[in-house]
Amino acid sequence: MIQTIVYGFTIGAILYFFSVGLALTFGTMRIINFAHGMVYAVGVYLFIAFLKVFDDSFLLALAASVIAMLPVAYIIERFIIRRLYGEGLDYAIIATYGVLLIGTDAIKMLWGTTSQPVNDPVGISIEVAEFGLPVYRIAIFACAVVLFLALRVFFKRSIIGRIVVAALEDSDGVRCLGLDVNKYFSIIFVLGSALAVLGGILYAPISSAEPYMGFHILLLAFAVVIVGGMGNLNGTFVAALALGMVMAITGRFWSQAANAMVFVVMALVLIVRSRKLDTD
Amino acid sequence: MLQICDLGVAYGHAKVIHDLNLTLNPGEMVFIVGRNGAGKTTLLKTIAGLLKPMKGSITYNDQSIAGQPPEKLARLGFRFVAQDKKVFSELTVRSNIELAAYGAGEPMDKAWSKVTQIYPKIEEFRDMPAGNLSGGQREILLIGRALVGDPKVLLIDEPTEGLAAIVIQDIFRILSNMRNAVSAIIVEQNLSIVKRLADRIYVMKEGNLIREIADKSEIADSTQLETYL
Repeated sequence: MIQTIVYGFTIGAILYFFSVGLALTFGTMRIINFAHGMVYAVGVYLFIAFLKVFDDSFLLALAASVIAMLPVAYIIERFIIRRLYGEGLDYAIIATYGVLLIGTDAIKMLWGTTSQPVNDPVGISIEVAEFGLPVYRIAIFACAVVLFLALRVFFKRSIIGRIVVAALEDSDGVRCLGLDVNKYFSIIFVLGSALAVLGGILYAPISSAEPYMGFHILLLAFAVVIVGGMGNLNGTFVAALALGMVMAITGRFWSQAANAMVFVVMALVLIVRSRKLDTD
Repeated sequence: MLQICDLGVAYGHAKVIHDLNLTLNPGEMVFIVGRNGAGKTTLLKTIAGLLKPMKGSITYNDQSIAGQPPEKLARLGFRFVAQDKKVFSELTVRSNIELAAYGAGEPMDKAWSKVTQIYPKIEEFRDMPAGNLSGGQREILLIGRALVGDPKVLLIDEPTEGLAAIVIQDIFRILSNMRNAVSAIIVEQNLSIVKRLADRIYVMKEGNLIREIADKSEIADSTQLETYL
């Protein structure tokens, strides 16, 4: 059971890394961004390529691939997402889904369709109650907690963070103060994309890289964003960990239902929320 | 200073404002009165850049500003205070002002002292989340936020709506202190405020300004104004 709990926290942490960007994009720009899955997957494949360049140095390859994806994220925001502001959700879904498909096909063309394993960079386990717990998984969870705290400080203390918090609530109000929200949305979009790449790379040694990895995590992350509340950063953290735990515990007893149970929980949350709205 | 000619604004196919003409002179406080649905809020939002006009022109100091984004208009000195009393509720009162100061390029100390001058009591709420303020305090914070920087044209939508009499007095005092220092277009239904502060009044009905009242004795005549509400 301890292993299951650690696995749940690990999956939750990865979901959090990925979902933060998605939650912020929806919260600030009101755009459902499928292209997030593309950035995540391409970032992982770049990481695998950089591993060869940097003699299997995990940290160097990680830094290089995150940095390499920053301009890609900026181009997506500047030339695709920004044109979708104020448009219907359907346009955003079509356009960003197109980007996801292009990214997936580019991966298949450049790296092939077979999955590519990535070695655990730590490679050691600790014994807890006669069970071996991989240190790497514990480290991923620790990274997610650090990220959560760092983002809290960023959004509370920095002027950019405060502008984004204000824009999440009333972007017109921010614009009427002379602040160009698009500039800050770009920063947040690129930051969110970098975190998705980071999450993908951290997850690669646990799973493996495959061309459709962006699709798979997208669906789960949408559930996280819906359960956590669109644009709610604290809610996203709690929802990611809770749904990660749901996946791990369900998977232990009924592996085929692990993903499905996430959507069952999401549906329950939506039902409870709609009833609460009715009573309010 | 601000000239609006033949303005037309629509939400999709529904025309809300048509062939509207309005003038605002420097230092003038102009009030717009009219029934709900007359298009008053739409007019302010269009001047503030939040809505794009379908036709017509808006010029400010001989420069066309129709359809310009709100952030650009804010840099020209336009400030819009919306009807909904929506502050940045998760930020502190001070951070609300800080954002305005950042947008206007004004040092925070100067901005804060400006706000405390118009409403000294705000010091008590300085570090409180703005979402915890009462409706009246929110309105005062929003007006204070609008005064940060170097505002030239204030666009204020129903500042006293739904507020207690004591807060209305505070808002009246703040608005009267602003007289002559800044130009303003204020949508207001409270006729006692309108009568005491207006340099001119426009009556709005069904998307157009149907009457302009500039005569002081006519402005003071509340029975006449009541017929338009």
